Amino acid sequence: MGPGLAGYTIRRLLWAIPVLFVISILVFWMLRLAPGDPAETILGNRFDEEQANVLRRKYGYDQPVAVQYGKYIWNLAHLDLGVSVKYRDFSVTEVILPKLWVSSRLGVLALVISFGLGIPVGVYAALARGTFLDPLTISSWLLLDAIPPYVLIPLVQWALVLKLKLFGLGWEGFLSPNMILPVLVMGLPGVAGVARLMRASVIGVLSEDYIRTARAKGLKEQTIIVSHITRNALLPMVTVIGLSLPGVAAGALFVETLFGIPGIGQLSLEAVQLPDFDVVLALILFGSASFVLANVLIDVMYAFIDPRIRVGGARG
Amino acid sequence: MAVAESSAILAAPEANTRPRWAALRVLAGKKLALIAVAYLLLFYAVGLAAPLVAPYDPNDQNLRVGETRQGPSADHWLGTDALGRDLLSRVIYSARTTVLFTVVVVVTGGFFLGLGLGLLAGYRGGWVDTAIMRVGEVLGGLPTLILILAITAAFRTRITDLAYWFEDHTWVSFAEAKTFLKFTIIAGATVPFAWVGSARIVRSQALAIRELAYVTAAEAMGASTWRVIVRHILPGVMPLFIVGLSSSMAGMAGAEVSLSYLGLGIDPPAASFGSLISEAGFIRTFQQYPHLLLGAATPVVLFFYAWNLLGDALVDVLEPRLNLR
Repeated sequence: MGPGLAGYTIRRLLWAIPVLFVISILVFWMLRLAPGDPAETILGNRFDEEQANVLRRKYGYDQPVAVQYGKYIWNLAHLDLGVSVKYRDFSVTEVILPKLWVSSRLGVLALVISFGLGIPVGVYAALARGTFLDPLTISSWLLLDAIPPYVLIPLVQWALVLKLKLFGLGWEGFLSPNMILPVLVMGLPGVAGVARLMRASVIGVLSEDYIRTARAKGLKEQTIIVSHITRNALLPMVTVIGLSLPGVAAGALFVETLFGIPGIGQLSLEAVQLPDFDVVLALILFGSASFVLANVLIDVMYAFIDPRIRVGGARG
Repeated sequence: MAVAESSAILAAPEANTRPRWAALRVLAGKKLALIAVAYLLLFYAVGLAAPLVAPYDPNDQNLRVGETRQGPSADHWLGTDALGRDLLSRVIYSARTTVLFTVVVVVTGGFFLGLGLGLLAGYRGGWVDTAIMRVGEVLGGLPTLILILAITAAFRTRITDLAYWFEDHTWVSFAEAKTFLKFTIIAGATVPFAWVGSARIVRSQALAIRELAYVTAAEAMGASTWRVIVRHILPGVMPLFIVGLSSSMAGMAGAEVSLSYLGLGIDPPAASFGSLISEAGFIRTFQQYPHLLLGAATPVVLFFYAWNLLGDALVDVLEPRLNLR
């Protein structure tokens, strides 16, 4: 990494701080000004005004929103994200971390499938440009992408679990054969997007001079495809991978809910419906922070992959 | 007038000003894209004309034995649901919901905010550009789905109160008011995130076009900012804007379907693909009555698919490298 890039990275990270502050203020106000408060959520049907006031005082909901926000930020600086309303004996951190561990493994495996299949499919479609195989390949994967998870999941559960009995259902820990189906359902629809971008990237590379040179000096077609075309076409995919990372941490709402996987996606839905204020706030802030960090990461990754960015600096 | 006519001659190649009709001709050569366009036209026509096209009232229940959850027949092409309502009519009214939603989101988020702010940022530059793009950066950095969920969930109780108020004080019924308010909330929660992508595309195009000679010529002749934007920048920006819009249409329409599926969007008895799918999607229900899920899901899946195909074809025709750095 060159010193210029290091400076750029630091500037980007510093700029992220005000952005995250603005987001936190917006979200905090929105959630606090929405009707209903945590006291109502906790008491539910047993609601009575006296007890509600006790709870409001205990959690500080009787104070002005600005004071509440100040306290929240002060606690956040001490890595205290508040208390969950639903899981009242646990802090928000304790609720989120185990679910994050489940979701991120699920998400990474799904990404591996999307990219592992999407990249060769994209290269194939680009090389088949002009024949019917190109539109056929891309449009078949696009069809899979067009089916929402809440339609796809009952179909595959019926066909593969009930009829063919290929997989089991139910949460038996992450490392169980029951997780194969959720990973596939999450990863395969993503192939279309990756393949489309990879196809466009390969088409761009195909017209470069060095490809003509490689052909002219008589290299084997296979060598050209693998080490000239694919390698160079992969560069723009770094952005795509980087931008997919925040989604991994955010969890898959429908896949997790419909397969009963205790991850961030399932937690989001549960927390939003209660509403579990501190959990919702923490999830949104976490999502925003991971998006900002992913963008910085993309720039750093470019420096590692593309030697031209490193020119003039120290060894990367 | 003379300035507008000379623009074709002075246009530089790098700022995508390929004649639009040529692009349309290439598009017409793509059979899949044409089928997609035909399907979309049909979908929008049926959605808009729902009351004329639907064979039954979508809320007409028939709970007599044998009338509920019928399979497809000559009387009920897609069968009937758990309450004996005609599924085809409910699908047609769901299409109406989807059509209205996409039109509202495209007009407000796409054209008004995306195109408008993108043009303003790209042409004006300076602090206007900075302000618009910074706001976009903040909104673009938010986890959209959970935020939309949080907004709609937060307003849920207030909607019921407001809908009762409407029933007491106006001629609008509770159900109508509730559907209208729900619709407003989910559109209002989707739009703030829908414009950022298209504004970015429009801005970068506007930045390139405003440096072209014909724009400078128009400015030198004293054309107003409004006139320069509408007559000289807009035509060059439109192709890419439309590509971006059609690629994001499935996602926008999907937001309403997903929210309704989760019970946070349009509730029954008003029809939405989301609630139709959630009623039919339990695996035991699907096992016994597969037509309920297949009948409700197929039209909307094809709708998403058609937009994706069209977007893909347009990218290919107009700008193959649009999505890349």
